[in-house]
Amino acid sequence: MTARTQTQKLPAAFAQVAPGVSAAQIDSAQLGAITHELADVHRARLADLFASESEQGAVVLRAVYAHDTESRYLVLECPVSGPLFPALSDLDPAAFVEECEIYEQFAIRPDSVKPLNRMLMPPHAEESFPRLGRRPRPPLKDVHARHVVAGEAFEFPFGPVRAAGWESLYMGLVTTGEEVLDLYLAHWHKHRGIERRLAGLESERALFFTERMDGLNAVGNGLALCRAIESAAGATVPTAAAHTRSIALELERIYNHAAAIAATCQTTGLSVGQARAEIVLERLLRLNAAAFGHRYLFDVLAPGGVRRAPDTAAIREQLPGACAEFRRVVQALLRTNSHVDRLETTGVLTREQAERLSLVGPLARASGCTIDSRADHPFAPYDQLELAPAVGEGGDVLARMKVMVAEVAASERLVLDQLGDAGPGRIDVSPRSAAALGWAESPRGEALVWVAFDSRGSIERARLRPAAVRNWRAFDDAARAQNVFTDIPIIEASFWLTVAGFAR
Amino acid sequence: MSEPTADQLRRRALALFGRSLHIRTVDTGSCAVCESEIRLLSAPPYDLHRLGFFLTPAPRHADLLLVTGPAVRAMDNALLKAYEATPDPKAVVAVGACALGGIYEEDGLVHGALDRVLPIDVYIPGCPPSPLALLQGLLVAVGRLEERVAALSFDLVAEAER
Repeated sequence: MTARTQTQKLPAAFAQVAPGVSAAQIDSAQLGAITHELADVHRARLADLFASESEQGAVVLRAVYAHDTESRYLVLECPVSGPLFPALSDLDPAAFVEECEIYEQFAIRPDSVKPLNRMLMPPHAEESFPRLGRRPRPPLKDVHARHVVAGEAFEFPFGPVRAAGWESLYMGLVTTGEEVLDLYLAHWHKHRGIERRLAGLESERALFFTERMDGLNAVGNGLALCRAIESAAGATVPTAAAHTRSIALELERIYNHAAAIAATCQTTGLSVGQARAEIVLERLLRLNAAAFGHRYLFDVLAPGGVRRAPDTAAIREQLPGACAEFRRVVQALLRTNSHVDRLETTGVLTREQAERLSLVGPLARASGCTIDSRADHPFAPYDQLELAPAVGEGGDVLARMKVMVAEVAASERLVLDQLGDAGPGRIDVSPRSAAALGWAESPRGEALVWVAFDSRGSIERARLRPAAVRNWRAFDDAARAQNVFTDIPIIEASFWLTVAGFAR
Repeated sequence: MSEPTADQLRRRALALFGRSLHIRTVDTGSCAVCESEIRLLSAPPYDLHRLGFFLTPAPRHADLLLVTGPAVRAMDNALLKAYEATPDPKAVVAVGACALGGIYEEDGLVHGALDRVLPIDVYIPGCPPSPLALLQGLLVAVGRLEERVAALSFDLVAEAER
């Protein structure tokens, strides 16, 4: 492997617009050049790419780069005139999903000969189908294998309705009978147009929808939105409220990781392990309800603070016991060879693949990437806390399980350390004619929200980028790595992504 | 004197469904939290198997559809196919605030409420409904199924007995 010469510096100076965020207005020729330069900067990655359209029909493209060693996000704003915009996916493959989305919503095409795939528009989408911008023409193609490939392989259709407890998702498994040669996903069955629904809403109503977009990450995505709103208003939340938010976020991480491990046992057919992990999960959900009044931590956050303080006595009493039980279950699982055998070398994602696709969260960490937006892009209270991202190696299902186990222990400590400082607190925020970026490390990785307000204080454009949008793009890579049919659910459980988060 | 036939049939239905009722779930655009609670129905704290309920991977084996989400239009086809494949008598249970019409407005993307697409027998409110609320809803649905069997025409009953 040839080592790429990497620089540590960003190519040009950009003005800081908010703590940890720089921005610049550039033209489309510069966007390609900067992407080219950033490709050589150590730990700079394309975090998001999206478009918005003014009432006059002018389209603006925004690329969000994250420079993890400098703790900085870079928002590049680039007006687009005409039907083409600079194709970034030729330089940075991580941009492909977003380029397809932009074409579906705004009818502008990346300047490249590459065919685009269907992302969120259903095939029957007509002229009147609700979109953020204009209708694309010609419509996007579905990705399908030909029914018979090279005389042997065929596409085995699976979904969208699947087993109980699994979200609607279409999987086209290309196979010769046992080994999965390739896999196509269709997420569009669950597209609800949340970004379009947020336009015109007040902050509080927008938070309501954002929490219900991807319920298993309600706090992660909600916090990213709240922080974007507060950043646009130039407000700082009270310290006690910041600690309360962090406690909710870490509790969300703990229960999600326990649920992922229960689902992994389900998919390997280890009923005893599943039952024991689900007992822990139920204890954690009841703890959430005791601490914040909701099993999935909805309606804890508010723009400008929190709606309520946690019941710290309940957390202090119940969390250590639940986490100790979790550790006992995990130790038993790791001693069960029939289970561990199914996890080892299953669904391997190499570090190179994780970096190329700019993956985030436990998925990237299990492949050896030291990436955690709590540590890389800290904000209160994480800038005051001691954080050590759990990094695994191997990138298989077992590595992902071990990373999750380590994170549960770290999150438990973070919650218990902050109990004395947490409390209620909420300030009035009413941003007008302003835009800002917000982020948070949800259980599945970095969640990003970019939001722009008009002069009356309603949302003009909200861009929601949950971690699932980043990480689903690696699923076919992991599934292709010499796996058979029965490995696919195991890989899906170890990714533990939501379809709702991608399809939003 | 023999028991009225309808009562016999009702008791048979109770015996039939009460001890072995098969459930098929369909997600029409939920946020994944209702799915999480449905998943927990088979966990030891709730254990729906002890009540004679089973989750089935095929609508043709199902007596009851448990449907979550705001009825996204893109799922219409799959949802109607699942409904049609479920043999009569069947019951449809709408799960959660989205399915009941509490979250989304009707537009080009979603119907906004499940009863705009399918006839609903039982509504289970909650965002999300807890596993205990789901269990209670399922027991109510069994009652509805019994009524439906009891309401079959007497010609059919006579035919069945012949």
